[in-house]
Amino acid sequence: MKRRNFIQKSSAGAAFLTLGGLSLESFAKKTSKHITILHTNDVHSHIDPFPEDHYKTPNQGGVARRATLVENIRKENPNTLLLDAGDIFQGTPYFNFYGGEIEFKLMSMLKYDAATIGNHDFDNGIDGLFAQLPNAKFDFVSANYDFKNTVLDTNIKPYKVFVKDEIKIGVFGLGIELAGLVDPRMYKETNYLDPVEIAQDMSRILKEEEQCDLVICLSHLGYYYKSAPSKICDLNLASKTKDIDLIIGGHTHTFLPKPTVTKNSVGENVLVNQVGCYGINIGRIDFYFDSDKNITSKGKSIIV
Amino acid sequence: MKKIIISIFTILLLLSCKNEPQVLVKVEGKLLPITEEIQSKKEIEDFIQPYREKVEAEMNTVLSYTEKDLVRTDGELESSLGNLMADLCFDMANPVFKSRTTNNIDFALFNYGGIRAGITKGDIKTENAFQLMPFENNLVVVELTSEKIKELVNYLIANNRAHPLSKHINLEITKKGYNLKINNLPLNDSKTYFVLTSDYLQNGGDKMDFFKNPVSIQNLNYKVRNAIIDYFKDKDTINVKLDGRFRAEK
Repeated sequence: MKRRNFIQKSSAGAAFLTLGGLSLESFAKKTSKHITILHTNDVHSHIDPFPEDHYKTPNQGGVARRATLVENIRKENPNTLLLDAGDIFQGTPYFNFYGGEIEFKLMSMLKYDAATIGNHDFDNGIDGLFAQLPNAKFDFVSANYDFKNTVLDTNIKPYKVFVKDEIKIGVFGLGIELAGLVDPRMYKETNYLDPVEIAQDMSRILKEEEQCDLVICLSHLGYYYKSAPSKICDLNLASKTKDIDLIIGGHTHTFLPKPTVTKNSVGENVLVNQVGCYGINIGRIDFYFDSDKNITSKGKSIIV
Repeated sequence: MKKIIISIFTILLLLSCKNEPQVLVKVEGKLLPITEEIQSKKEIEDFIQPYREKVEAEMNTVLSYTEKDLVRTDGELESSLGNLMADLCFDMANPVFKSRTTNNIDFALFNYGGIRAGITKGDIKTENAFQLMPFENNLVVVELTSEKIKELVNYLIANNRAHPLSKHINLEITKKGYNLKINNLPLNDSKTYFVLTSDYLQNGGDKMDFFKNPVSIQNLNYKVRNAIIDYFKDKDTINVKLDGRFRAEK
């Protein structure tokens, strides 16, 4: 309830600032910059659209359609990143038959920029995931899975920094605790580290050392657990960290009609988004930057 | 008011220079549904097509045949599909287990909820095996004490559902309690029993807690779905009936 109040207040504020925002764009094209983030999660090997007679999501989704949409957005704004928050594998016979080869190849064709690892991405074991990595022309980021004693050692980076139109975007990954969720023989000696501590480290490194303008967390922790409110999830992560602008989530297959705006540990706004599952939706977040002197008051407007 | 704000902004903008550090001023977020209005990209379609054809051909491969619908709801405490599933998993798993341990499995138990779809009479295709068992669960053999077997029986009675049980169990709920025979013998308190189930249930799925902390456990690394497919491939026609292996006294 509190959060809803906050969102309402923030959108009222946003309406006011939008006016300024519009004038910024119209008068200062040379100094303003625009970054678009597109994201998916829990696609679960859904290559084809759902059948027309599907009881819940008839004729929705499909990678070939997603490709068109992504391509059109990239034409409109070349400064676009396409990200995935994990659970790429498992859910259709495409995975059972080809072990993730098609999923990775298609994501490469769509020019995904980065993805994190979900629990189901271990379904063919850590060796099964490793075997498919050559098919992925994009990077996997995971900061809280320590793969030192596994085949994935050095193959997975904690974070990646992208530069688009001189804007530095840091993207780091977080995975869910595997014990109790995945058979230990599948993840082998993958060591799960505390996501909050790791996120604090990551945001410091990306903000202070790498001097990123934008920090994005690709998380497979889950949006929120009603029956276990203190369990680590994206909302709790947001409130316990700072300097993260956007948390792109997965795992809980949460359909958010629009991103959630919440507060971080120092009272600044953080966006948390998740777009359901099975490639039925793409999430789109647009970040607009402007040079320092154009800003009259501190803080950004968020329109969701 | 608006005019004043705009003019303040305009003045500030005119004063600004190009290479200043960038500050985030505005964020917009929205959901983009992937609908049929969006045209498929041909290059992607063309890439998928050969894989799709192979998968469809494989899924449409006829493995076996059934003269009647196989469902989980045609009995009270047992079902044709449940009996089939438990018996076929036993048949496929026991030789594997025996070759590894020299022991025989005593019986198999799975869960009613794990039967994800029925099979319509006619040809049985690979697709049916995927619909029946979409998960990647493995077969495991759990060695249980007679005490745990009693817990298992009490669970079955309290649950009052047609959980798939293999034919090696003969369990009748009576007014006083129950009659149990395993392989035609009463429960032997000095013996341990080898029970076939899935790794999902062994790990506490469906609250089958009696599978936790067993005397020993052997993962067969054999997927339930593969056992189903292998069995169907081996049989021209599936004949299965209700035999009262788990029943209540009338």
